[in-house]
Amino acid sequence: MNTMRQAGAFAYFVWDWAMAVRRWGAPRAEIWREAFRIGVMSLPILLVIAAFVGTNLALQGFYAFRPLGGGRLVGMFVSLAGVRELGPIIAAAMVAAKAGTEMASQIGVMRIREQIDALEVMAVNPYAWLVTPRLVGIVLVLPALTVISIFTMLASGYLVAVFQLGLNGSTYLTFATQGITAMDFVYGMLKAVWFGMIICLVSCWYGFTCGRGPEGVGEATNRAVVTSAVVCVLSNYFLSEILYGGGP
Amino acid sequence: MIEIIDLHKRFGELVVLDGVSLSIPPGETTAIIGPSGTGKSVLLKHIVGLIEPDSGQVICFGTDMAQASERERYAVRRRFGMLFQDGALFDSLSVGENVAFPLERHTRLSPREIRDRVEEKLAVVGLPGTWDRAVSQLSGGQRKRVGLARAIVMEPEVVLFDEPNSGLDPLTSDQIDTLILDMKQALGITFVIISHDIIGTVRVADHIAMLNAGKLVAWDRTEAVLRSPEPVVRAFLRRNLVLPEAEGEQAHLPRAEEARRG
Ligand SMILES: Nc1ncnc2c1ncn2[C@@H]1O[C@H](COP(=O)(O)OP(=O)(O)OP(=O)(O)O)[C@@H](O)[C@H]1O
Ligand SMILES: [Mg+2]
Repeated sequence: MNTMRQAGAFAYFVWDWAMAVRRWGAPRAEIWREAFRIGVMSLPILLVIAAFVGTNLALQGFYAFRPLGGGRLVGMFVSLAGVRELGPIIAAAMVAAKAGTEMASQIGVMRIREQIDALEVMAVNPYAWLVTPRLVGIVLVLPALTVISIFTMLASGYLVAVFQLGLNGSTYLTFATQGITAMDFVYGMLKAVWFGMIICLVSCWYGFTCGRGPEGVGEATNRAVVTSAVVCVLSNYFLSEILYGGGP
Repeated sequence: MIEIIDLHKRFGELVVLDGVSLSIPPGETTAIIGPSGTGKSVLLKHIVGLIEPDSGQVICFGTDMAQASERERYAVRRRFGMLFQDGALFDSLSVGENVAFPLERHTRLSPREIRDRVEEKLAVVGLPGTWDRAVSQLSGGQRKRVGLARAIVMEPEVVLFDEPNSGLDPLTSDQIDTLILDMKQALGITFVIISHDIIGTVRVADHIAMLNAGKLVAWDRTEAVLRSPEPVVRAFLRRNLVLPEAEGEQAHLPRAEEARRG
């Protein structure tokens, strides 16, 4: 019941934001600043995580296929899993953890310190001013981060396959490129755009509805990352079903 | 130009405004005084439409702030400058960028002109040459003054100040009072000022409205309020002033530290 009410309030917020954009447009200069910040902030941790997800994909692919005599399929396994599933969702998780939490806490602090009221009084629409640049920024940056995480996974998978498992490097690459199509990349980017919108809108919303006092900001930040992670993972299942599922 | 008509507002169980009616005389200074937590800041936020009343109306320049469309509300707000109780400066911007913010959003001034205008206002509030300072490095009193500079940078017709003097030393506080008097005379600006600084209030205000327990207990010209027989009003003012007796006798204004709320 409470969840339904929250979802309703969130939908209302998204509607208000969309109306604000229609009426007041978007501040251009802010968009580039936000995009840059989101990218720089999330990139280091994303590289580390993606690299070590790639290593384990290679290992598990090898152990899974070896009994079937398919150790050579490791490259395909890493690229399929990376491009279709893990690349987008891991990039999204890192961006939710770094950029999403920052959005919720920044906007939450602005809310409790009356800075959002100050924007209103200065006749600047807070939704247009604060949400739009973050949304456009994240939608520009998250697909790029997704591509980077996919290539990082492939590269670290390559290192494990060749130097630890003793597989042939060119076989790995051949299977890696054969396993996937251009459409897989397009779908991965679609997922990234969708996740970016979810993370930004959910995190900003928790910021705007932040309770009074410092506990309010902590709680908003916490809920922002939990909710956006849950919504991303759930919607990822349905997206994969729609994009890749071919029926029974 | 600003009419507040039978305003009621409660937050949950807490009744904050319980039928407040007030009209703000143009070109003059109205002070709102009263105990902490009686809803002075809430009243000020109603004037600019930041809070919607439960019942009653606020009419600014002929516009009902709660009923108006967003565009109409924004058009009215551009005629206002407002200082928030805690400054409400943007932490991510420098001092100069904060003051320049409304100019950049709403005027077509060149960067050079904006810079000049901002430097001028910063000098007026006693903070010349602080454009590049980070907001986080400022003291409470300095924040307040940057907030003041931002409130007047658009040269608005109506200026709302939520405790412009609190947290300021006596000298700076006097300067701010003088600034208010000068601006009123030179530019005919209407001021609405919330203050706990009774001595300063008596100096700058033409009218005093006192709020207590959600109601106006005094609302008159300053001299008249000083002679008010209302016990709660007398008790409130007596802490900082030696009040005139019923007949004549000038108000005697001691410079009391207690006048300033820390
Ligand atoms: N947005 C809000 N939600 C809930 N309660 C609020 C809100 N804004 C103010 N209040 C409550 O309304 C009451 C009046 O607050 P207000 O800030 O107007 O007091 P004030 O007269 O300005 O006091 P002070 O002199 O201390 O600044 C307080 O009890 C406050 O907690
Ligand atoms: Mg207050």
